[in-house]
Amino acid sequence: MKKGQTVLIKPNIGWDRLPEQAANTNPDEVAQVVKMCKEAGAKRVRVLDRTCNQARRCYKRSGIEAASKKAGAEVRHIVKSRFKSVSIPNGELVKSWPFYRDALEADVFINMPIAKDHSISRVTLGFKNIMGIIGGDRGQIHKNFMTKIVDLNLAIKPTLTIIDAYRVLLRNGPSGGNLADVAEKKIVIAGTDPVAVDSYAMGLFDIDPGQVEYLKNATRRGLGQMDLSKVKMKVVDLSA
Amino acid sequence: MRTARRISQIFFLLLFLFLFFQARYPYETWLPSDLFLRASPLVAIATILATRKVIASVLIAFIILLLTVPLGRFFCGWICPLGTIIDGSDNLMKRKKRKPRQRESTRFRSWKFAILAAVLVASLFSVQFIWFFDPIALLTRTMTTVLYPVFSFLLLGLFNFSFSTGLFEDQVYSAYDMAQNTILPIAQPMFFEAVLISLVFIGILSLGMVTRRFWCRNLCPLGALLGLFSKFRLTKRYVNETCNSCSICQRECKMNAIEDDYAVNNTVECIECMECVSNCKPHSVSYKFGKNIGKNEIDLSKRRFIQAAAVGLAGVAIAKTSAVSREETGLAIRPPGAVKEDDFLDRCIRCQECVRICATTGGCLQPSFLQSGWEGIWTPVAVPRLGYCEYNCNLCGQVCPTGAIQNLVMEKKQKLKMGIAYFDKSRCIPWYSQQDCLVCEEHCPTPDKAIKFDIREARTPEGTMRTVKFPYVDEELCIGCGICVTKCPVIGKAGIFVTNARAERIEV
Repeated sequence: MKKGQTVLIKPNIGWDRLPEQAANTNPDEVAQVVKMCKEAGAKRVRVLDRTCNQARRCYKRSGIEAASKKAGAEVRHIVKSRFKSVSIPNGELVKSWPFYRDALEADVFINMPIAKDHSISRVTLGFKNIMGIIGGDRGQIHKNFMTKIVDLNLAIKPTLTIIDAYRVLLRNGPSGGNLADVAEKKIVIAGTDPVAVDSYAMGLFDIDPGQVEYLKNATRRGLGQMDLSKVKMKVVDLSA
Repeated sequence: MRTARRISQIFFLLLFLFLFFQARYPYETWLPSDLFLRASPLVAIATILATRKVIASVLIAFIILLLTVPLGRFFCGWICPLGTIIDGSDNLMKRKKRKPRQRESTRFRSWKFAILAAVLVASLFSVQFIWFFDPIALLTRTMTTVLYPVFSFLLLGLFNFSFSTGLFEDQVYSAYDMAQNTILPIAQPMFFEAVLISLVFIGILSLGMVTRRFWCRNLCPLGALLGLFSKFRLTKRYVNETCNSCSICQRECKMNAIEDDYAVNNTVECIECMECVSNCKPHSVSYKFGKNIGKNEIDLSKRRFIQAAAVGLAGVAIAKTSAVSREETGLAIRPPGAVKEDDFLDRCIRCQECVRICATTGGCLQPSFLQSGWEGIWTPVAVPRLGYCEYNCNLCGQVCPTGAIQNLVMEKKQKLKMGIAYFDKSRCIPWYSQQDCLVCEEHCPTPDKAIKFDIREARTPEGTMRTVKFPYVDEELCIGCGICVTKCPVIGKAGIFVTNARAERIEV
């Protein structure tokens, strides 16, 4: 990113859960990203998400509100009037849908999901995380989900996708609640190709990305590359 | 003294409003929001009679009652927030002009004692009606379901308009955020029964067109109760020999308690508003401790008492014999921590504190209509299609003044069943059309999800075979919180519903 740009970070703040329960993005990671953006000269860093449980509970219990504010971000709640209808002419099933203005208008949009087991998407990663900046009746997206989630991702491409796999939720996702379902992997996956990033993360759950419909759909439609042999990757070991 | 009274009234009204606004998530407080409700002696006595138990949370009320013996009906004149509101609204209304020295009628004065008798008789027969007439419960209920939603509507409308102009976005957002943490709700509150509840309140205020404080003089059973206890009060009204019998004190008396002998006032009716003191030109009137020289008869004839008792018993009869279908009773899902149903109906004063605080978090509680018959009207029930019970919330039990909802520790609340969810397989998307959904399973909050699914091959209505995830409820794990029903994307009636089957109630 360049100096003076506006940044919108979209972590997963969907659930009224503690950080250890791995239902929301790691607050320390979010704070770190905020700090790095500010150090790079960002004019404004905003953090928000359209939650599933009551918003104030989620923002508080996840620790993301406090950590982000401390790092210097503007933490905002969703205001209904700020959704803008976006047309998706290449959408196969979704031709238009409301998206949150702050995400559409930011210079830099950073998508920061946490990797979790999910009955509908197999694992919820970057693609599914986009559902936190859409308006409307989100329940309707779950029918023919594999196609619809790609349609939605056509409307907005994150500048950067950062998948939090410091702690992952292996079972009973996406809401979790049982610490026995959490595994500490201490991994962060970042990239500009949202398909490649999600494909790599699937491997953490021992799932072949070739078996995941939305990744096949997205690759076919040119959103990215799921064949990791064709992707430039760098693995950094920070344990030293 | 009148100035002191006015300051006191405003202070207690502001305190009442503060406690009302405070009753919201996260509810981190040192002063309980149901303080006024607990302080009402009427609620205390009626609940104790109906449940045959002494409930600790309402013992504060006895302090008020004990203080009334020496001090008189100071609660009515100096504290009661409904009284303050009535005083305010009375000032906005015009009444028929009276000829000088023509005293207002005291015809309806006995009604408040009759109402008190009726509700106490009903309480002895284990049907509690006091909630309808108790001024604090009435005011809290009206604030929750009527006044606050209207206030929110106007203020939210103002904010939305500001947002739409796009001007001063950051400042407007800051103001909006601050308001949402204090006086504004998270979303527009909307309640069933609001129209009926508002009619009662509007009716009471409209009586100000007949006389001032019509409710307090003639209908309020709490006023009647406090009047009984102030028969032998020690603070008395004295008129010295400078009195010129101008009759202004009688005219200005808010309670029409001054007799045609202007030196005599009725100690059962007087609320010590000090209007007679302030309006007396020769300053003949004063209040001090002394011997009993006033009138102190209670305006209730034997005949009226018997009529009242009969009405009370009729109320019991209607309550205990009204039919409710099993479809309705199955849907009457009580808040988590509710005591057993008989006890619940006796204790619940329909104040809507639980409804109020729930609306600031999961938002499932609503005043019921006849789901539990006439005896249960306006008691709280969960309506899962409108809101759900937040997994990490136990606030309703913290604000219930009578213990109809017990205060549960979080671990217990999270395991307690409010009911069980059932799939309506004729509407649930995987079951009737072999497509995928699972929004219910996604949101199920129990750490070991209570909604699980089988993966099977199935033929769609179009004739193709596909692998479908068919959800089902694990009854042992389900706590009936209703989030599955709230989030179900089916249009209209959901593909899943909750009944109060296997609901766990607290025995006290």
